[in-house]
Amino acid sequence: MSDIPSRLTVGLAQSDCRLGEVEANVERHLAWIERARQREVDLLVFPELSLTGYRLLHLTPRVALAANAAALDRLAAAAGPMAVVVGFVEEDRLGRLHNSAALLRHGHPAFVHRKLYLPTYGIFQEQRFLSTGRRLELAPLPWGRAGVLICEDMWHPELARRLALGGAKLLLVPSAAPGRIGGGDVPESAESWEVLTRSTALLNTCWVVYCNRVGWEEGSFYTGGSHIVRPGGELAERAPYLEEHLLIAEIDLRDADRLRWKLPLLADDRGDITGPEPAP
Amino acid sequence: MIRREQVAGRLALNAPLAVAVLTGFIRDAVETTATEGVVVGLSGGVDSALAAALAARALGPRRVHAFVLPYRISHPDSAADAQAVAEQLGIDWRVIDISPMVDPYFALEIPDGGAAAERRRGNKLARERMTILFDQAKKLGCLVLGTSNKTEILLGYSTVFGDNASSLNPLGDLYKQQVWQLAAHLELPPRVVAKKPSADLWPGQTDEDELGVTYAVADEVLYLLFDLGLRPAEVVDRGYEEAAVRRIVQLEQTNRYKRRLMLIARLSGSAINLDQEIPRD
Repeated sequence: MSDIPSRLTVGLAQSDCRLGEVEANVERHLAWIERARQREVDLLVFPELSLTGYRLLHLTPRVALAANAAALDRLAAAAGPMAVVVGFVEEDRLGRLHNSAALLRHGHPAFVHRKLYLPTYGIFQEQRFLSTGRRLELAPLPWGRAGVLICEDMWHPELARRLALGGAKLLLVPSAAPGRIGGGDVPESAESWEVLTRSTALLNTCWVVYCNRVGWEEGSFYTGGSHIVRPGGELAERAPYLEEHLLIAEIDLRDADRLRWKLPLLADDRGDITGPEPAP
Repeated sequence: MIRREQVAGRLALNAPLAVAVLTGFIRDAVETTATEGVVVGLSGGVDSALAAALAARALGPRRVHAFVLPYRISHPDSAADAQAVAEQLGIDWRVIDISPMVDPYFALEIPDGGAAAERRRGNKLARERMTILFDQAKKLGCLVLGTSNKTEILLGYSTVFGDNASSLNPLGDLYKQQVWQLAAHLELPPRVVAKKPSADLWPGQTDEDELGVTYAVADEVLYLLFDLGLRPAEVVDRGYEEAAVRRIVQLEQTNRYKRRLMLIARLSGSAINLDQEIPRD
């Protein structure tokens, strides 16, 4: 274990984007990537559907990209040694459209997660326009394997559990979570999310990196408040609400191991009665 | 389950946070459309005062243009209060008397008298104001700022293509109590915040007389029905007067058409809005 580096600097690009304008959003991504590289970020995470915007409706097929699209290679090239997670509408070989997140490394997309749970309730309409992903796999990173879960995926805790059992000490969560406010000090929607990310980190004794977008689409706002949670469930860092922000923090994946020795929730897991571990 | 005495508390907003969100909404709409700012019709009432105040905060007062559009029988206090709001916010304002546009039309019509005539003229006033605001918006390169609140929209207390027409509406998800709360928070003129709500379309008109319920009750009942999904009988069980609940339910149902404009007959497989739901942003 000791020859694998465990410390890395993560960056969260809490960004806005232009709905349906991929070219303009690629340019914005290039600016964020440049800023992050100047700050020596090792792993930069963008929000869900960061290249296209979220509320696309019938624009969805018009902005879809194949995972080998030139736009992704261009971002990957600009990232240089930095690993980057971007969100996009992916068109697969059968012409199905997915809400996907690509991990860019060494100049190319190295891994793609297709969102597994597509919310279709309230203001969400994803199942009308997108197909569900079929696989849960671990993303290869220099610091070990990580899980990628997109927004609604986080609300189905068995996914995070399976990723942690498969070896993830780090969960990356790109999100486009619309905001709600009431009488409280922070947006109600952000409070719910923080309960979720903190309990997920605690129950799976892993880091959670949650990158939520900001801005407005069709009268609905996105909250921001991106944050990083330590393996014990403590909040490490949080970006401000409602405004663009590059949140940078150093994390040590060995913290997950150290906690797991004291709090062996994963070691005690009863996969024999709750289901098999995912393929490595 | 929620009790009646808890409902008012649920409607209370974190005012600074709400203002931050709503000013962000206005700023984003103006930036996304690359327009110069907003025009707003100031009636002297609390809704348009709050909308203008949010816009002045969002964009700076120089990018907000107020229009006071009285008719010859409008209450004189309305224009005076509108001007007080504009002056407090530091936004420019202009008065255009709409009587010379409205009266010649009705001079051509055989008068039908009574309440129907008043209502027709009231609608005409609202639509006349709308055409002026959109024309001024074109002239100034601006968007028209809407001022309808959630209570009015749900009860259909508005003129179709009149006061409910706008390019963007920061108040459409605020019940009247919440409008009052934010107006007080932004320290708008106390007279404007405290006055009895009136569309001022004919002498002595008040919203609550016309609606047949007070805003306090309407807001709470709508919140229970619309936001929490209670059934009318469950609302009555919480101590609201049955007649008031029935009235609110009836208004909400019969006015739904006002919330979904552009009813298009579908012939093709790609009808606008039904088959091709394209975001406007």
